[in-house]
Amino acid sequence: MELVTSFFTGLGFPDWLAMATASAIQIIAFVLVVALSVAFVVYGERKVLGAMQRRQGPAMVGPFGLLQSFADLLKLMGKETIIPTQANRPVFILAPILMLVMAFIAWAVIPVNAQWVIADINVGILYLFAISSMGVYGVIMAGWASNSRYAFLGGMRSASQMVSYEVSMGLIIVCVLLTTGSLNLSEIVTATRPVWVQIMLLPMLAVFLVSILAETNRCPFDLPEGESELSGGFMVEYSGVLFTLFFLSEYANMVLMSAMTTILFLGGWLPPFGIEALAFVPGVIWFALKVSLILFFFIWVRGTLPRYRYDQLMRLGWKVFLPFTLLWVVVVAGSLLAFDALP
Amino acid sequence: MPKLTIDGVEIEVAPGTSILQASEMLGVEVPRFCYHDKLSVPANCRMCLVEVSPGPPKPQASCALACADGMVVKTNSEMVHKARKGVMEMMLINHPLDCPICDQGGECDLQDQAVAYGFDRSRYHESKRAKVDPDIGPLVKTVMTRCIQCTRCIRFAEEIAGTPDLGLVNRGEDVEITTFVEKAINTELSGNLVDICPVGALTNKPYAFTARPWELRKTESIDVHDAVGSNIRIDVRGGEVMRILPRLHEDVNEEWISDRTRYAHDGLKRQRLDRPYVRDPQTGKLKPTSWEEAFAVVAEKLLSVKQGWKAALVGDLCDLESMVALKDLMGALHETNLECRTDGAFYDASSRAGYIFNSTIAGIEQADAILLVGTNPRWEAALVNARIRKTWLNKRVKVGVIGEAVDLTYPYEHIGTMPVDLENLIKGGGNFAAVLKNAKNPMIIVGMGAFQREDGLAVQALARQCAETFNMVREDWNGFNVLHTAASRVGALDIGFTSKEGFDLGKVEMVYLLGADDFSMDYINPNAFVVYQGHHGDAGANRADVILPGAAYTEKNGLYVNTEGRVQMARKAVEAPGEAREDWKIIRALSAYIHRQLPYDDLFQLRERIAREWPHLMQIDQILPAPWSEFGKPAKLAAAPFVAAVQNFYMTNVITRSSLTMAECTKVFLHGDVADNMVGAAE
Amino acid sequence: MLAQFANSFLLTEIVKGMALTFKYMFKSRVTINYPFEKGPISPRFRGEHALRRYPSGEERCIACKLCEAVCPAQAITIEAEPRDDGSRRTTRYDIDMTKCIYCGLCQEACPVDAIVEGPNFEFATETREELYYNKDKLLLNGDRWESQIASNLAVDAPYR
Repeated sequence: MELVTSFFTGLGFPDWLAMATASAIQIIAFVLVVALSVAFVVYGERKVLGAMQRRQGPAMVGPFGLLQSFADLLKLMGKETIIPTQANRPVFILAPILMLVMAFIAWAVIPVNAQWVIADINVGILYLFAISSMGVYGVIMAGWASNSRYAFLGGMRSASQMVSYEVSMGLIIVCVLLTTGSLNLSEIVTATRPVWVQIMLLPMLAVFLVSILAETNRCPFDLPEGESELSGGFMVEYSGVLFTLFFLSEYANMVLMSAMTTILFLGGWLPPFGIEALAFVPGVIWFALKVSLILFFFIWVRGTLPRYRYDQLMRLGWKVFLPFTLLWVVVVAGSLLAFDALP
Repeated sequence: MPKLTIDGVEIEVAPGTSILQASEMLGVEVPRFCYHDKLSVPANCRMCLVEVSPGPPKPQASCALACADGMVVKTNSEMVHKARKGVMEMMLINHPLDCPICDQGGECDLQDQAVAYGFDRSRYHESKRAKVDPDIGPLVKTVMTRCIQCTRCIRFAEEIAGTPDLGLVNRGEDVEITTFVEKAINTELSGNLVDICPVGALTNKPYAFTARPWELRKTESIDVHDAVGSNIRIDVRGGEVMRILPRLHEDVNEEWISDRTRYAHDGLKRQRLDRPYVRDPQTGKLKPTSWEEAFAVVAEKLLSVKQGWKAALVGDLCDLESMVALKDLMGALHETNLECRTDGAFYDASSRAGYIFNSTIAGIEQADAILLVGTNPRWEAALVNARIRKTWLNKRVKVGVIGEAVDLTYPYEHIGTMPVDLENLIKGGGNFAAVLKNAKNPMIIVGMGAFQREDGLAVQALARQCAETFNMVREDWNGFNVLHTAASRVGALDIGFTSKEGFDLGKVEMVYLLGADDFSMDYINPNAFVVYQGHHGDAGANRADVILPGAAYTEKNGLYVNTEGRVQMARKAVEAPGEAREDWKIIRALSAYIHRQLPYDDLFQLRERIAREWPHLMQIDQILPAPWSEFGKPAKLAAAPFVAAVQNFYMTNVITRSSLTMAECTKVFLHGDVADNMVGAAE
Repeated sequence: MLAQFANSFLLTEIVKGMALTFKYMFKSRVTINYPFEKGPISPRFRGEHALRRYPSGEERCIACKLCEAVCPAQAITIEAEPRDDGSRRTTRYDIDMTKCIYCGLCQEACPVDAIVEGPNFEFATETREELYYNKDKLLLNGDRWESQIASNLAVDAPYR
């Protein structure tokens, strides 16, 4: 941040302008990279799923079908955007836009490398948590505005599902915070903890991974979309550009959640397991690799597990994850106190 | 009465009954090819073999073996099965495997029996014999290679048709059925050869290759081409009549029909009136119009022409219902100028016994002397002639003819050609008077040729006198018979579609023709307004000022009364073309336009109305004896000889005149021209 | 009880399932790149219909109408009459390919191997009307695919 700002002040820009220009460049760079990564996540998902099902996956557009996502994008853009006559028009249009905005603005606090962050604020984790919860509004708005029973059911399911799992996610984050003593994401990454504390967080990683599946409406918790029961859930009435926005934001959310997991549990941009010898590889690469790993996990789960039933989903959220994470918060806090390992 | 056991069931039968017939009574199916219950029994196909004991230990032909007391017959034993399999294999040696191109395929006796008794491959590897196909006319196609020499056709031609043109020549493998000299089989019953042939050797030529039996929808109906009222089955594919087959009715047509009945149906596709026409007063040409407009024009005339100046004529093919409707329509206008005898015949219609075939057609078989007056039954009613021939064949009935000396397929005594000859006969002159006098059941058949002359009424009176003189009319026997040629006639006479006083067609101002074509339109007043309701564009339509398109006999439900007075129900097989409608409906619709709506909305109400006035017309398929009374009017007899009413068997009404097949038959059979019909035999 | 608890708590079954899918990722692909590569088809393959001819150029079909009769979808319509030389021929032979269920009964029924279902399965059209095949189209198909059809029939002949 400072580096880019000083480059512009060096060009003779006034401080505020240099600052603003630098921020703009950073934002554009982030948006571009995230959007691009979404394209390849989609491609990767189809390829990996194909492989798991002994198929080829996309192979026609570009070398190995690499440009498939762009072809899809073109196709989606070229389609007619149908807005149902009985729909609530402004809300109907606003919903996907809100979703996408939420998916992107969360990236403001994500440090992809040491100092590589747009806004290095001290309550980064709270901001992230708040923004990711906002996504549910897009879903509810879409479900409500479509004026369709499938969309409405999908929206309701999605809202309750996201809210349920955010509770346990919050408690998991508390666990992590207990061990790091900071709400600043960069500091969470760099915080040093004894190995036994890190091992104590392992069950939390598992629960967190499941929770982000639910949070992003991914298989096996893709009930809101539920193709076979709700024929597309809250976005059943969407088409063309508006559908593209939903699509984009869903995958952007996946990438975001993967980044969050990376920061909270996998040590962000640092080399794995603190092996100093690997430090020559730039932190961004490590970060990207770790994010990719989590994304692969997303796809892998989709390729393996069938969809949950709705009551099972709620049971898991409230009767298993919530008590377990609560207990674990107590256990972690107690052990930290007992062994005097508070940061 | 021999008593025997067939397949374990005991049965007592009349002496002389064959085992095959006895089995049939029990419902036991015995396969056969050569046996036909209307023909003589040659027992040459050997398919009907059964095991009989006591007797030689070999299978016996059941069709030729009379039942005897104490016989034990097995129709389904191992031995029988083996024997029939052997017969079938021999039969198939020379039968070509061309079922896919054979028109008999799907309704072939050999095919069916081969399923039961055939073997799935042939042990015969030598070359098969092939035959030259003789051309036997434009109606029957021959593929003699398929022939299994059952000789049914030979026996039919000899026994039923009375034209012994077919015969079996050569022996062994070279045996073949042929006409010796290649010629068309000149009989009005030739179409039945197709039906009796158990294989595809004789097939229907006009129908060739056009349809398969399984695609045809079958409707049981009644024929209208003559006054016999043959029972027929109309086979339809889509909206098209593909062929017409006989239906068994022992009292009417047995199981035969005439060629006109069978082959004239292609006339139903040509020259049809499929929309109303009105003659344009300016150009004098007929132009298409709508039903509403046509009705309006007709209604205007019906109301404006004064009572007594209108007339209605019905033609030969009309159903009873439409004639009743027309009579009611005219009655509503108090019009009595009605006539059905458009053929120019003069006879008294006041007594039913005076115009029907009192003995009934089946009754011919009881006759032992038959006098034919002014008729050629062979052409006027081929099946009546077949019945006379059958009677002659069975008991050499004596036949006398007053009229044209034509070939009737049985010997007869030609008494004369003039009415005077009948008068002389009554007085006891000639051999035949003695024959009639000695006969137990003497019979006179008067044809339309005897009435279609100025002195028709006198001839009718003379015929009545003849019947009375020779004791033909008794409690148990009525030998006075009129042979009509038009299917509609007896029905029309029954409902009184006649005028007592008569009227002059040359003076009336408006004429309503219901399918009336078969008379000279010159009789009609040239200034008269003519309405023609019918199905073919023929003489009537040509003269008409308004044409109302009606339905032909295959296209409507209707009642027909045959020459015996037998009421029979014809059923609709196809829809009438275009805008054409059923005839009674047209008249019913027209009645609304003259504000005298007829009180029936459907066919059942119309039939109820008929039943109320003429209860005997609702006795379907029953003969009610007509009481004998005075009819005819003795007068001076003309010196002209009798001329038969039908001069061309193949061209008698609008349908036959439109038929290409009938035109071809006329060319071949009447004019002896064979140039065109060589096509088709070349295959 | 304890084992069950451990099983569900340690997600053993889910892990097993995921291991299985992971293993399958490295197995060979069973699909092919369709328009560029094509899988083998059996000589009995029932594809697009064709009416065959004899080597002399004479059409085989004799209008026996057995295919029309046997067709369970009633997709075949035939009209026939004697040709000028007196032989039995169709004047109309239509197959409604949108009705056809490709059961192959027509070629089973055909006594002269005239109607056959050839190896071609790529005959998609843009309109339904193009799928109402008439006799000309079917004969054209026959001419186009004759060599393959003939060899397929020859290969399959021993089993018929």
